[in-house]
Parts: sequence; structure tokens; C-alpha cells
Amino acid sequence: MSSINVIEKERTLIINPLKTCQPLGAMFAVMGVHHGFPLVHGSQGCSTFVRYNFARHFREPAEIAVSSLHEDAAVFGGRKNINSGIKNLALRFKPDLIGAITTCSSEIIGDDVFGFVDTTKKELKEMSQDVKGLDKIEVIPIPTPSFVGNHFTGYDIGVKALVDNLAEATEPTEKVNIIPGMVNPGDIREIKHIMSLLGIEGVMLTDTSDPFDSPLRPSVTPTKPYFPKGGTTVDEIRDSANSKGTIALCKYAGSAANSLEKKHDVPAIIESPPIGLQNTDLFLRNLKKLTDCPIPDSILDERGMLVDLIADNAARYLFDKKVAIYGDPDITTGIARFIGELGMEPTMVCTGANSKNFTPDMEKISKETGCDIDVLFEQDMWSFEVYLKENPVDLMIGPSDGRLLAQDLGIPLIRVGFPVYDRIGYHRHPIVGYNGGMRLMELITNAVLEKYYQPTHWKLQQ
Amino acid sequence: MEPVIETFESRKKHMCVKGEGLSIPVCDKASLPGTVTQRTCVYGGARIVLMPITDSIHLVHGPIGCAACTWDIRGSKSSREDLYKKGCSTDLQEKDIVFGGEKKLFETVLELNELYKPGAIFVYATCVAGVIGDDIKAVCKKSEEITGCRVIPVQSEGFQDHNKTKGHWIGCDALLDYVIGTKEPETTTPYDINIVGEFNVAGDLWGIKPLIEEMGINIISTITGDSHVDEIAQSHRAKLNIVQCQKSSNYLAQKMEKKYKIPSIKVNFFGLQQTVNSLREIADFFGDEEMIERTEKIIESGLKEVEHKTDEYKERLNGKTVSLYVGGNKAWSLVRAFEEVGMDVIMSGTKNGIREDYERIKEAVRDGTVIVDDANSTELARLLKKYKPNLLISGAKEKYISLKLGIPFCDFNHDRISAFAGFKGFISFAKEVDASVSSPVFNLNYTSLKGD
Repeated sequence: MSSINVIEKERTLIINPLKTCQPLGAMFAVMGVHHGFPLVHGSQGCSTFVRYNFARHFREPAEIAVSSLHEDAAVFGGRKNINSGIKNLALRFKPDLIGAITTCSSEIIGDDVFGFVDTTKKELKEMSQDVKGLDKIEVIPIPTPSFVGNHFTGYDIGVKALVDNLAEATEPTEKVNIIPGMVNPGDIREIKHIMSLLGIEGVMLTDTSDPFDSPLRPSVTPTKPYFPKGGTTVDEIRDSANSKGTIALCKYAGSAANSLEKKHDVPAIIESPPIGLQNTDLFLRNLKKLTDCPIPDSILDERGMLVDLIADNAARYLFDKKVAIYGDPDITTGIARFIGELGMEPTMVCTGANSKNFTPDMEKISKETGCDIDVLFEQDMWSFEVYLKENPVDLMIGPSDGRLLAQDLGIPLIRVGFPVYDRIGYHRHPIVGYNGGMRLMELITNAVLEKYYQPTHWKLQQ
Repeated sequence: MEPVIETFESRKKHMCVKGEGLSIPVCDKASLPGTVTQRTCVYGGARIVLMPITDSIHLVHGPIGCAACTWDIRGSKSSREDLYKKGCSTDLQEKDIVFGGEKKLFETVLELNELYKPGAIFVYATCVAGVIGDDIKAVCKKSEEITGCRVIPVQSEGFQDHNKTKGHWIGCDALLDYVIGTKEPETTTPYDINIVGEFNVAGDLWGIKPLIEEMGINIISTITGDSHVDEIAQSHRAKLNIVQCQKSSNYLAQKMEKKYKIPSIKVNFFGLQQTVNSLREIADFFGDEEMIERTEKIIESGLKEVEHKTDEYKERLNGKTVSLYVGGNKAWSLVRAFEEVGMDVIMSGTKNGIREDYERIKEAVRDGTVIVDDANSTELARLLKKYKPNLLISGAKEKYISLKLGIPFCDFNHDRISAFAGFKGFISFAKEVDASVSSPVFNLNYTSLKGD
């Protein structure tokens, strides 16, 4: 009987983290709002280093404003900074929405961001007599102290704050709300593609696909001010209260779904991301459950192509290979299950977050695959490294931060998740859905062929 | 006077045109809240100065983000250890905020010492450490006594100041207070120097070091590129400090001059003429006839080595315009190098400049050049649209703003690919600049399919 073995960190210290702090997740969520602008209430580094990290992963501009807290604020409070910050941002950019995101410093000095935002909104209303439209800007307080949770919980708080402040029950619609999680533009586009094949209109909470992957067209790129294409509009978020249901495609970000269910009777489904066959099947079943839509042949053909690809190659090249997966708790869970579907063994999984579903989900996957899984829970890259040196595997799957270790140990690394900064194109291709499954399958198989088969091997010729 | 570009009233005087009235912009002021500032925090400043010390652990005392977003992001190369690349954090949690993080910090330092036996452990204070009032100095002292490892407090609370330069100084202070002068060199020579403010980004140091050693000079330490903490500890015995990044490290050189009577000269190894001048100045300082002779030979062979190697690039770059928007030093130190490849610097600016930095820029650029202080992303975009340079030189955050406007870009910041310093570095410099400016994509860009 297969089982899991949970290995927790035996140090106080973190070496080479696999998580970051809450504000980053909240910024990510706000970046997915059409003409939405994150305003970080904290030090300049709190926005700058996050912009750096977004820029190197997506290779796109990441416009994030900051209230520039300085020492005087620690003594007198940061009210002046957030107040003038919102007004300056409103005047210069006239965004549709500002997410006022707190940090460790603004939280500890006791800034009441909710109160400050209320006051500032009143001022914006007065100012709108001179500058039209300022009163129409939504300003949403998002409390994300950096010493609580991690960037995944920050994303959850961000999406919930948007929904709680905006969702408004009016006329019921046939739409389905989707909380995609901190995934790539390619993933969100694949989710939309699946829904369009099923004839379902969705509300993405929120849609970072175009903002984080936009065309270079100087003639049409707005620079006065600059806003990227796309994102979910404020009206669409308002309308989320009228949808047939909400599906959170990651277990760490279900709060908005639960909140919509509680306040507006919108049924909530909170599941793992649709990575691999069974998890994508589950996503389709859930969509069907909410909308009673038929499942068209077009999507079954896509499914069939993934099955075909696996049938053609998995047993031949992948069977029995041992895989270590690390990073985002939900992406890791999804990939572990898919690895099982390919006949490989997810012998070790590692996450930096303390997501409560991680261990129980791995237990299920262990039973399903018949594989013993070592679960490094709330761990860091150092533990991952120490483990791998003692327990070799054939493949590593996770973000770029494992690249040096992969090189040292001579293990192929298949890059997924955030951040991937040492290869290009990874943000544009999906890993979710049947198409994402094919992409992953190809990446994995080609890595195995490259590493474990001589070019002269007869197996490669047929 | 007409403002350079349209912006907030309070920001207008942060931009000027040399030769037209005000030639030095208003600077060193807090950024306007609510703008997309290109600046960072004081912690970021301290970290980049100290991070290139390769045999040391850099431990960030704060919530996880301060370490998670900054580990291994500076392209400072090492010829020996790679300990400095690790991202270490105390990962402060809510209970630590309530009860204080000193105990956690103490345990963490002990664990690090046990794991790595590093040359030193630098402990960086973040905003949170400052607000909750953790006594980092006391913890460092206590753990140093127990471990015997150097444990060095860096009082770099992020929000201390609007200017990252303060962080550079804090980093330098940590070296002055806890490292420099704590070890005596086994032997000394009359020609001992330190290379100060050279961080070995992309391996720049390795283009400079052989030239200087060939002159007959002994380099005690580089502060801080590719260095060990023990080498910096002996730096007080140098006869001369040569300062490459004057933005971050003049402060250190001045303090060392005061404390140890070590004179300093400002050098610049970007560009051929600047490299030649710098080598001559160093030789002149020592006044040794043989050394001066040797130096001339080094210069001669160095120049010969690069002769005609950049002709191809220069041909394409001639007459092209470039804008610089950088942290500080490069805003003036690169100007001559660009002129040598035939390019025209039409704008130069810094994110964290102080008045003396802008004096330097003013001296370096010709009349009509736009000088900019602390331009936020909107202002930068407007400047680029107005002046349409053929190239922007800046860092990762600015890169995609520029490219989205169809303006070629070259990263001269932490993510630089090639070493530019010294004679051979000049070839890489010309090559990389040419690769960006002459990329065919920028000619394909405007083809209209709509027929409009």
C-alpha cells in the first residue's frame, strides 16, 4: 500500500525561498483588471522588486505604483502618502480601478487603509467637479501584511477584495466565474478556449492574459497614459454576483468563490488546476454541472489527441521514470497527478507554502498512482537540494530557481510555474487543459529523449 | 521656461536641458506618492553594495519577500565561492512581530554558521525589523561571540530614506565599522591598492585587474566585486584607493581617507580614452618611472589589441542617439564610451542622483542634452516619445517600457551580459550596443498591412 511521507523543515532559517510575501499576489490579481492599477502602500522596494520579478518572467512592463513610505510615516502614520498617492494616480492615469495594497510596514504602523480609502474617495468626488471622471474610479483596499501567509494567500485576498467590493446582484446571467490562480497568460487563454468550445461565457477573476502578454504595436499602444491591453472590466467583476457559479481553479484562492456563494447564492466549486487528463475532465464536469452544457465533439477530439499522444509515447519512453516536482502548491499537485497518468512516479513533491490541501491531495495521488511520495511541506530550495542529493530522480519539474541544481546534478529540468526567467515562451504556452497536457507531455518526453537516449538508439527511429 | 515634458508641477524642475537656464535638475527629493517610481528602497541599496562579497552569507531579517524578490538577481560574478548567491531569510511571521524577532534571528545565524562556516554573515535589517525595534546589533554581537564567525549588522531598514544612496552608505558603514582594519596583511608593498566600487557585474573586474597587476601593483582587495571578507579586512593598509563606481563608493573612499589616510583617485574603465587616462593617473600617483614606462607599454598593446575591432560597429552606430537612465555612476561614466563609438548622448538621468552626481553629468554631456532626475515610468515614456533616441540604456524595469514604444534597449544594469571594462571590454561594449541598435526588428515594425 503506497503512502506519503511528510518531511517538514527542521530549521528556523529559510534558504532559497519557494514563496514570497502576500503583496505580490495581490498585485498580480489587480494587474488582471482592465485599466486596473495596483498601488502598494509601503516602501519603494515593495513595488520595485515585484516589478522586476514580473518583468523578467513575462518580459512585459509591469506598472505598479507605490505610496513611497519613509521614516516620518513610521512616526506620524502613512495617511498622507496613501491619500496623495491615490489622488496622484487618479489624476495621472484615470484608471478604472485602484487596488490599495498594504505591506508589512503600513500594517505594523497601524495605518487604517479602509478609513483612508473612504476619506480619499470623498475627496476624489469633490475633485471630480474640476476633473471629470475621478469619482468613477473604484478604489479597493486590500490588506496584505507581508508577515502573514504567502503570495498565494495574497492573491486570494486580492481577488476576494475585488469581488466583495464590486459584485452586485442584478439580473442572473448564464456566465461562469473562473478564479484562474497565479497562472500564465497561456493558461488563461486555454481556459477561455475550453469554455468557448462549450459555449460558456466566463468572468475571469482576474484576467492577466493580455496585460502580461501584449503585442508590440507602438501605433496603437496607449501611452497617455500607458495601459496594457485586456483584463477583466470592473463591470464584469460587478456582474460576477449574477453568474451560474464560480470555479476556483486552485485551492488556495477559493475565498472569493465562497464569498459569492454566501452573499449572492452563486454556487462555489474549488478544485485543483485542470492539469492533465483527469483534472481537465473534472473541470469539464464542473462546467457541465453548473451550466448543463453539452460536451461537444471538438473538445472530445482535443482530449483524444492528448490520449493519443500519451498512448504513442508514454509507455515507450517515460514509464517508471522518477520525478521531483516543486513550487506552487496547486500546480505541483496537478502535475504530480499528470505524471502518474503518464506512468511515471512523482517520488517527491516540494512546496514553500503551507496550503492545507497539499498533503491530503498528495495522499490521494499516492493511492491513485501506487507510488510512495515524499512530501516536503513548507520547505525551501535548500531542503529540496539536500533531498535530491541523497535520493536521485530522473527529472525535475518547477520554476527556474532550480536551474543550477539541475545543472549540478545533471537532471533535466522542465520549467513550469513562476518564475521562469531563463527560457522564453513559457508564459505564453498553457500547461492546463488538454492542449496544456500535450505541451507538458512534449516537453517531458523530449527532455527524457535528449538526456536518456543516445541519438543512435533504435527506439528513436519509430 | 517651457517644461521638458508635461508632468506634475512639482516634478517639472527635476528635468532640464544643459545650457538652457537651469543645468542641474532639482534632485534628492522624495518621489511623489502614487507614481510608478523606478527607485527602490534603502535595503536594496545596501544589498547591492555588499552582495558581491562571495564567501559571505547575506541574511535578510524580515518577512520573506525582502529576500525572495532579491536573491541572486545581481550579475556579479565570482571566481571562487557562490555562497553569496543564496537567498537567506528569517521569514518573520505575525508572532515574531508581536514578540520580537531577535530570538529567531539568533537561531538563524547559528544555523547558517553550522551549515556553511561562511567568511561572514551580513544581517540586513528591513522595514519590519526597524519598526518592531529588534536590536540587531546586540544579536550579531552575541552570535559572533558564540560562533566565532563574523556576524555583521547592516542597518538598512527599507523606508529610512527616499534615496537608495543612503543604502549604499549604510553598506559601506558596515564594512568600515566591522570589517576594514580587522586583519593585518602578511606582507605589504609600496604599491598596494584597493579597487573600490567595482562589483564585477558580468566580470568587469577581470578586464581591469590584469592591467593593473601588469603595472606592478598589488591589489589588496576589491570592494566588493569577487571579494572575500578577509581581503577587505586588510584593505586599510593600501597606499591608494581607486574608485570606479563613484556613486556608491566615494563615501567609503572618503571615510578611509579620513580614518586611514589613504588617498583616492576616481577612475573610469568604460571606454578607451577613459581607460588610458585611468591607468596613467594610477601610474602618476606612484610616480615610479619604471611603472610609468610599463604602463605606456600596456596602453600601447591594449589599444593595438582593439584597433579596427570595432570599426564595423562604429560604422553602423555613427550619428545614432542614445539616452541613459541609470542608477547613478553610468550616467556620466558611459558618456565618453558612447562618443567613442560615434553615438550622441541626448539624455542622461539617474534615479537616485544627488547634486554632486548631476554636477558630474553636466560636465560630461554637451549643451542641449536633457538631464533627468527620478523620472517615473510615465515620464520616461513621454521623454522617449518626445526625443526618440535610437537606444535606451537602463535596467530590467525600464526595458519593456522602452521596447513597447519600439525603442531599442540595452541592459547595462545588474543583468548585463558582457563585461565592458578595459580595452577588450570596449569591443564587447560596441558589439552589444550595435546588436541592440541595429536589430532588424525595429525596421520591420512599422510595415502597414491595412494600407493606411
